[in-house]
Amino acid sequence: MEATYIKRKKDGRIHIMSGNKGDIVLKWTIIILAILTVVAFLFFNYAGLELGSAIRETAYNLKVMFLEPTLNHFDLGEAFYQIGITLGLAFLATIIGAVIAFFLSLMTAANLAPVWVSRTVRVFVAIIRAVPTVLWVLIFAIAAGLGSEAAILGMLFHSIAYLVKAFSEAFEEVDKGIFEALRSTGANWWHIVKSGVLPSTFTYLLSWTFLRFEINFGVAVAMGAAAGAGGIGFELFMASSFYFDLREVGFITYSILIIAFLLEVISTRLKKRYFPATTTK
Amino acid sequence: MSLLTVEGLGKSYTADKQILKNINFEIKAGEFVSIIGPSGAGKSTMLRCINRMVEFNEGNILFNQQDVGSLNKKGLRKLRTNIGMVFQHYNLVPRLTVIENVLHGRFGYKTTFQGLLGRYTEEEKERAFYLLEKLGIHEHAYKRCDQLSGGQQQRVGICRALIQEPKLVLCDEPIASLDPNSSKIIMDHLKSISTEMGITCLVNLHQVEVAQHYSDRIIGLNNGEIVFNGTAYELTQEKINHIYGTKTKDLIIA
Ligand SMILES: Nc1ncnc2c1ncn2[C@@H]1O[C@H](COP(=O)(O)OP(=O)(O)OP(=O)(O)O)[C@@H](O)[C@H]1O
Ligand SMILES: [Mg+2]
Repeated sequence: MEATYIKRKKDGRIHIMSGNKGDIVLKWTIIILAILTVVAFLFFNYAGLELGSAIRETAYNLKVMFLEPTLNHFDLGEAFYQIGITLGLAFLATIIGAVIAFFLSLMTAANLAPVWVSRTVRVFVAIIRAVPTVLWVLIFAIAAGLGSEAAILGMLFHSIAYLVKAFSEAFEEVDKGIFEALRSTGANWWHIVKSGVLPSTFTYLLSWTFLRFEINFGVAVAMGAAAGAGGIGFELFMASSFYFDLREVGFITYSILIIAFLLEVISTRLKKRYFPATTTK
Repeated sequence: MSLLTVEGLGKSYTADKQILKNINFEIKAGEFVSIIGPSGAGKSTMLRCINRMVEFNEGNILFNQQDVGSLNKKGLRKLRTNIGMVFQHYNLVPRLTVIENVLHGRFGYKTTFQGLLGRYTEEEKERAFYLLEKLGIHEHAYKRCDQLSGGQQQRVGICRALIQEPKLVLCDEPIASLDPNSSKIIMDHLKSISTEMGITCLVNLHQVEVAQHYSDRIIGLNNGEIVFNGTAYELTQEKINHIYGTKTKDLIIA
């Protein structure tokens, strides 16, 4: 007697995955990408490339960059100051973004907002998120001109979209029973947000905000160069494209690396503490 | 004097299935009434119709001479301050302290602003401690709720309901997640609420013996209809079988 709902492969072994379309699509996407990657190498233009000297010169450049870092065009104090500016850009964009995202995500969470409001905000946020941060910066540069204003606005925009998604998902995780209990005491919506939702999600909100800060620091470095927003990114751009000073590039890279490393350490700690189950990324 | 009158109550979540059908009963002030019935009979739904946590479709509910069905938003908040609720899973905010959770019961009396600032009067705080002491958990007042045992959490839940100064407390399976010992403590407290404080209790229960032991009156619900309404003495084995649609003895053996 065979139960019909057991799915079997052709050779009779039992499937444990439900075998939906998504899995199959994913599998084929990976296979096709792998083939394309191999094929691409065969089609490159190799004319004028001497692999030997290319590798040797790259190695030399890397050696100058990373083994002999010095500062030539500005001093250590100035370097700290520029790093401070970059951190400041990232910080402003993150904090303002987090505050705005908090209120927007109250309007997005399915358990806090009416369906039509939640859907509308969700669509807007998805559109904003679909456009890369750099593009937003350039779009704002039209109005604000290239510089730190455009950089902050662009980073802010994308941070909001990112955090709204994260925050509203955290809100939706809040136990239904808490809502029920508070509503049954006669609490209104604001009471429930303040006393039920916020305490239950506060640590999540905090660590998401910090994760975003980490991302924004990276973006702020790039924006310093690309959008002329100043900070350490701009110095990096000057050193590499204007003065061709490899040693300075090396120094700046190290300092960015140290900051990024510190941020990473803190955020890993936060994650371990608050999301013990999901240590992906 | 009847505190609660339910007339011809009907409820359906979806068009094809009627969950509650023509429910009629009355509850006098100070009474302790249990509702028993098989899973899915509609006990939780019926309880939630009374404070409109669930909107009902047909019939009338009169609470304290007030037509529950016709209340506006403000009136509904006012009504809910008069009706406390206790849940199977306690439904406390786990990251907040016991005392904070108890004081949540005062929200119905607060403006948005007072609630946002977490402003409570000294009398309210004194009252909270008094209730905690009465239920024997005052020493945990400053602990976070997720550090408490189930039985202790349920007592916090009862305090939260009592600080509302309610006329009626609705309990949805208050002891379903507790061991026999804690269950007895909780049921004893609920009973004393009705006898000492004169607060009416309406309790959903799964244990027939518990219902018989504590209740002034028992209502039996089966498939959305009231099939029994009487005292514990009137609840014979035959009637129990009728409510549950099987022989409970068979259930235990099987
Ligand atoms: N929100 C809802 N939407 C649709 N149907 C629901 C909803 N809540 C309950 N029901 C249905 O109503 C019926 C009665 O549910 P209810 O929770 O009132 O039963 P109960 O007697 O409390 O059962 P239990 O003893 O298991 O708690 C069930 O068939 C359930 O599927
Ligand atoms: Mg139930």
